[in-house]
Amino acid sequence: MSHEKVKGCVILKDLHYNIKNNTWVRVIDDNTVVIGMTDIAQSLAGSLLHAKTKSTGTARRLGKPIATVESGKYVGPVKSPVAGEITKVNEALASDAGLINRSPYNDGWIVEMKADNLSADLADMVTGDAAIAAYSEKIEQDGIECAGVEGADTY
Amino acid sequence: MEDFEGKKILVIQTHGVETPTRTYSPLFYAMAAAAMEIEVMVWFTMNGTNQLKKGEAEKVQLVKDSNVNLKTMLEMAMDSEVELRVCQQSLELWDMKVEDLIDGVEIMGATSIIELSLTYDHVMYF
Repeated sequence: MSHEKVKGCVILKDLHYNIKNNTWVRVIDDNTVVIGMTDIAQSLAGSLLHAKTKSTGTARRLGKPIATVESGKYVGPVKSPVAGEITKVNEALASDAGLINRSPYNDGWIVEMKADNLSADLADMVTGDAAIAAYSEKIEQDGIECAGVEGADTY
Repeated sequence: MEDFEGKKILVIQTHGVETPTRTYSPLFYAMAAAAMEIEVMVWFTMNGTNQLKKGEAEKVQLVKDSNVNLKTMLEMAMDSEVELRVCQQSLELWDMKVEDLIDGVEIMGATSIIELSLTYDHVMYF
């Protein structure tokens, strides 16, 4: 899995990113996706103490929260980058929100969703080299630095 | 997580810049509620009003060398769609005029806030 690091922040080239909401999307099939927070997002939030996902079966419009996350210095929503229904949630986060910090792209995934119109939603995201370029600009502009995530070198 | 969409919480803040440790938490709770899709308003009155005077909130920083101060907390709250309202009568306590307020804060009178509080699901008072 190809990736790049910008100021320590890991960006995977095969994911789709909603830059504004700092979320990633992994396409599983025609309309199924897995969603999570980016390395940049988890770095900005700090060590997470709580992560509460919305329930399976919840319908979400674009930008509505799929979860709330909380650290000692931050609390906020994880906004859905796609419209659709939550089909699975990462139950492990309830007892270990730090999974998002340690493994934002793998064990720290947040929900799986069945998208209503995935191609339209993906059209508003960036992937591959365009994602690297977009995040490089954001990281530079906002002065972001990441501490690095577990196993990043094996991606 | 239970669905709280449509619920409303009113947060009343009566503490201001002279007690920094009492300024962040109400905004933090307000942002938590907003993240949970709860409609939330913070109502500043009594000493709480003085943090809304231009140039004051920037001076309140709980953690040394942090890039977060009370002004950034107020801005983050507004970015999270938390509504900020200030008591009209309490402006006089601090010799403040409308133009002294930071952007994004609206003024309401006592009767309006009483009416509103009766329509909210919960009130948190600080």
